[in-house]
Amino acid sequence: MVSHQVPSLAVDVPVSDTTRRRVWPRFLTSEHPFPWLAPITALILAFGVYPLLYALWLSFFKRNPITRMNVFNPTWNWGKLIADERVWGAIGHTYLYTITALLIELCLGLAIALLLDSDRKGYGLLRALMTLPLVVPPAVTGMMFLLMLDGSFGVISTGLVSLGLWPPQHPILASGSTALAGVLLADIWQWTPFMVLIMLAGLRALPKEPFEAAAIDGATTSQAFFRLTLPMLSKIIALAVLIRGVDLFRIYDYVKVMTDSGPGTATETLTSYAGTIYFKNADFPYASTISLFTLLLVIVTSSIFIKLFKVRF
Amino acid sequence: MQETFWQKRLRDVAAVLVVGVFMFPLFWWALTSFKPTSAIFDKDEIIWFNFKPTLVNYAVTMLGKSRAELAIESGNTFGIGGASSYDSRQTIIDSLIIAIGATALTVLLAVIASYALSRMRFRGRQAYLNWILSQRFMPPIAIIVPVVFMFHYMSLLDTRLGLIIVDTLINLPIAVLLMKSFYDDVPVDVDEAAMIDGASRLQIFWRVVLPMVKGGVAATAVLCFIFSWTEFLLSLFLTNSIRTLPVKITTFVTSTGSEWGFIAALGTTAVIPSFIFILLVQKQLVRGLTLGSLKE
Repeated sequence: MVSHQVPSLAVDVPVSDTTRRRVWPRFLTSEHPFPWLAPITALILAFGVYPLLYALWLSFFKRNPITRMNVFNPTWNWGKLIADERVWGAIGHTYLYTITALLIELCLGLAIALLLDSDRKGYGLLRALMTLPLVVPPAVTGMMFLLMLDGSFGVISTGLVSLGLWPPQHPILASGSTALAGVLLADIWQWTPFMVLIMLAGLRALPKEPFEAAAIDGATTSQAFFRLTLPMLSKIIALAVLIRGVDLFRIYDYVKVMTDSGPGTATETLTSYAGTIYFKNADFPYASTISLFTLLLVIVTSSIFIKLFKVRF
Repeated sequence: MQETFWQKRLRDVAAVLVVGVFMFPLFWWALTSFKPTSAIFDKDEIIWFNFKPTLVNYAVTMLGKSRAELAIESGNTFGIGGASSYDSRQTIIDSLIIAIGATALTVLLAVIASYALSRMRFRGRQAYLNWILSQRFMPPIAIIVPVVFMFHYMSLLDTRLGLIIVDTLINLPIAVLLMKSFYDDVPVDVDEAAMIDGASRLQIFWRVVLPMVKGGVAATAVLCFIFSWTEFLLSLFLTNSIRTLPVKITTFVTSTGSEWGFIAALGTTAVIPSFIFILLVQKQLVRGLTLGSLKE
């Protein structure tokens, strides 16, 4: 928290020093926000908005793979996108991944936050440790789980097999039916702490009185949780789900590192498909089209969510 | 609802277990970095700790020694051969330059802009804030192809400056909204009192308000550093010879086999700066992750 002491202005700001005040040109000392906002606006326009419009423009061109020329053909890529079965598969994987991860991370996060919400000695350290996964580079997390899930020498796989919980002929990341779950595991490990932190902040900000009143009225712990804690946390939960959901939707790092969309296309998401089209086919207009389509889905889905749950920043 | 003695102990045990589960991958990763290659792949040595710890993995990635050299020194010739492209010293330096550069640029721009967004009342202010927020939600993949073309024309492709610019772009929305929330914590009375005394906006900003949000600037800088340090997609698309750590690590996975010892050593190294920094800004982390809308 920032301290709210009022500084001693008489010392800090020389009032009668007119020579110093004349140094600044007029537009810098006026109340107009232009000089304050101009630098970031320029940067975002040049490297954020312009590329977006450029991507839209690019999506109207058809790439000829032999001559490597782009020919203007506004409906080609968008038509191809709708007819492309891999796009529909990728949409399915993206939504499946996003929703599953959100549900697990939210429930786990809330449970762990309730568990760690104690003022007793040592819990501060546990909460601090819990933040560490958040700052591991996602590519490193992907590598970590790639090693641990490896079919022949990964510690998780070997452990599960030796405990008899997993058939040995069925490596997690190399099988189409379980590869997405393996990628999810990395995501859950890294981002459950995000939910834990936000839920903890929410829990700590809750007023004490309703809980004391409920205890006097003889409410059980579960009643207090479902009737008081959850409703009072709903705003924070919606906010956390929105922020996390948008990030989940553009998942790229784990998929690229752990499975590279495979085996086959079992873990192909929209962004990883766009990456494949870019790197392997060098079809830049079509890669742009898929990326823009991803953005479109993010906007539509998050708008619906914001309207539905009245999320406010 | 008071907990009984046994409920307290149950909570303690469960809490330690859960945190332990989340710490295990980090522990395992660090452990792997000290294993000789044979121990990583040998079935009998995978779960147990019956291996001789070695610093070979760090010597290769951090000191640039070739494995052949080390093998001959130690008399162990298992897995000899392989190029010395695992030397990662330049990568670490490049990563640091990029992360520090992007952090400095982001903080500089955000500190100025968010002061105006916090203090000045002008038409379209809320719309502008929403526009900044919407930039946070844009997937980088949506702009990456045109950015590659742009950078090609501007000779920024595969340069540190280019990555600094795009990292700044990605971090700006978070930094601006976070800094605005710190400015909002300082009462407007402070500005008004200074204004009555005849100070200009720039003087109020530089001499009165900015010193009061120093802690916030530090927290913003740390978060920006971590985001740039861990960034993967932009670096993958925009660079070829200059690599940041997360991308460099993935190049150790080859078609002829993965160098897990080196990957783990470099991964452990990559994680350390983030850990040190994050412990410094524990208090502001939640605020940063929720773009300033939630305070702890």
